[in-house]
Amino acid sequence: MFFEPTFLAIQFLNGLQLASLLFLLSVGLSVVYGLMNFINLAHGTLYMLGAYIGLTVARESGSFWLALVGAPLAIAALGALFHVLLLRRMQAASPMKQVLVTFGLIFIGLDVVRYIWGDFTHSIETPAIFSGSVQLLGEVYPSYRLFVIGLGLFVFVALYLGLERTRLGAVVRAGVDDREVAMSLGLNIELAFFIVFCLGCGLAGLAGVIAAPVLSVYPGMDMSILVLTLIVVVIGGPGSLKGAALGAFLIGMFETFGQVFMPALASVIIYALMAVVLLVRPGGLLPVRPG
Amino acid sequence: MIKKRALANRDIAACILLLIAIIAWFRADIFGHELLAQISILAIFAMSLDLLTGYTGLVSLGHAAFYGVGAYATAGLAALAGWPMWAVMPTAMLLSALLAVFAGVFAVRLVGVFFIMITLAIGEMVHAFAFRSRVFGGDDGLGGVPRINFDAVGINLLDPAQFSLFTLIVAALVYFVAAHLVDSPFGRVLVGIHQNESRMRALGCPVRHYKLAAFVLAASFAGLAGSLAAQHNNFVSPELLTWTTSGEALIVVIIGGIGSLVGPAAGAAVFVMLAHHLSGITDYWMFFMGLFFVAVVLFGGDGLYGLIGRMRRALTHARR
Repeated sequence: MFFEPTFLAIQFLNGLQLASLLFLLSVGLSVVYGLMNFINLAHGTLYMLGAYIGLTVARESGSFWLALVGAPLAIAALGALFHVLLLRRMQAASPMKQVLVTFGLIFIGLDVVRYIWGDFTHSIETPAIFSGSVQLLGEVYPSYRLFVIGLGLFVFVALYLGLERTRLGAVVRAGVDDREVAMSLGLNIELAFFIVFCLGCGLAGLAGVIAAPVLSVYPGMDMSILVLTLIVVVIGGPGSLKGAALGAFLIGMFETFGQVFMPALASVIIYALMAVVLLVRPGGLLPVRPG
Repeated sequence: MIKKRALANRDIAACILLLIAIIAWFRADIFGHELLAQISILAIFAMSLDLLTGYTGLVSLGHAAFYGVGAYATAGLAALAGWPMWAVMPTAMLLSALLAVFAGVFAVRLVGVFFIMITLAIGEMVHAFAFRSRVFGGDDGLGGVPRINFDAVGINLLDPAQFSLFTLIVAALVYFVAAHLVDSPFGRVLVGIHQNESRMRALGCPVRHYKLAAFVLAASFAGLAGSLAAQHNNFVSPELLTWTTSGEALIVVIIGGIGSLVGPAAGAAVFVMLAHHLSGITDYWMFFMGLFFVAVVLFGGDGLYGLIGRMRRALTHARR
């Protein structure tokens, strides 16, 4: 049964679905790292908050689509607030201090969620259009999962075009490439960083909403995804959009197929993969700054 | 460079801290002894992390892995294999050190955020292994860990007061050894690497070997702390080695003052007492701990140890 083509194809789609989620989560984290050498450990918390806010919006309004738009906007606004209140002060601090401030935020976020939404496990209902299944190679496959894959692809293409074809994209690329030179040329890297940061936060919120109908919504859902997201960033090469996509694809596949073929070792394999990548290519698979 | 006088100050501070701990030991009830043992164990763990982070400048988010290996080795060898405890404890330290050799060879090649990330991954790898392992009870953990037996000399460590005194003595010994280590030429090299790695390399110092040595030493002390934690709780679970335990240990180090050895020990007391009291007041105590973490990192400066130093200097100036 394990090596039947249909079974493998279904698992491949499941892997793509996880990769799509991981891409949405890691792309913001990765580009922010590329611009400012800053890693936000509370990124998973934003994902969790996105899921919960989406839950409330979907329940109150009865519309999944409103949640899909509203929650990411709310999380982007929260990101803006976080940037103004905390990050701006932390830019000269050591990596350890930056990492640990966001470490503190994890606990704050966790108890805020417990206080507002309780300790229970929730779920957002799948939107009506995607509540059915489709026939794929003679197997039924939930159409919502295809929507998740499609959304991930769409965001990748949109970000790619935004980065390659717009002025802001050019500023971001210049900033990632060489921050000092870009700033001395008069480019507003601070503003670009702010926009990229808020966008990244919004995408984490988006990931939370689209994950909610598939995975359950519970306090602590941030922790289970955070480490995977960090691994995606490191494997792909911090600062790189394509790297985040490649890293998300690899981790999505290794995690999904690992769970199927050797459940006892699946999680260990992913860490081993990261160790191997870092050894062979310390800057990640697709580094922005070679060497 | 740190002057000789500053080193003497550190030892005086350590003696005062030990004195306070001994007074607390005499005044403590049963719960107090539980807390005191918890503080001593966290102090050992935090001091071991300070060797790595404060002195060598390597920020690890995977230090709990070595703490956990010490604890799991103790549980496995004592509760499952039935080894005598006097053999278990050194073996637990050795196993932590052994894992650190393997992990460290990879980790010390990286710097900055990449070092933080690879240590986090190493820690999570060990955590995933413990979480899945049937032998060690997986998610549920493993109970029935005995305490080291000193019955022959009339000491019963099952008594909370005697056990807390035992952990306190071990913590004091660890401070003594670690203080000698950081004052030795070896420790000087570590501080040199922290302050200017490329200069040390230019001087012909095998920087990676020294980093690896610091990594392994810190891991073996963390293993000792883990072994004591397993004996204290009579129980081990994968929670011991999650990456948040490592993060909390870093916070403890910062509370006390990074790179001061005695500071992180004091930070352990602050951390345990704060968590104890907050969790008694509200169910949402992690919220306030989180706020405290952020405040410590933002406004904590050089920690308790630095604060005391500044107060002393202010007093001497005032007297003049």
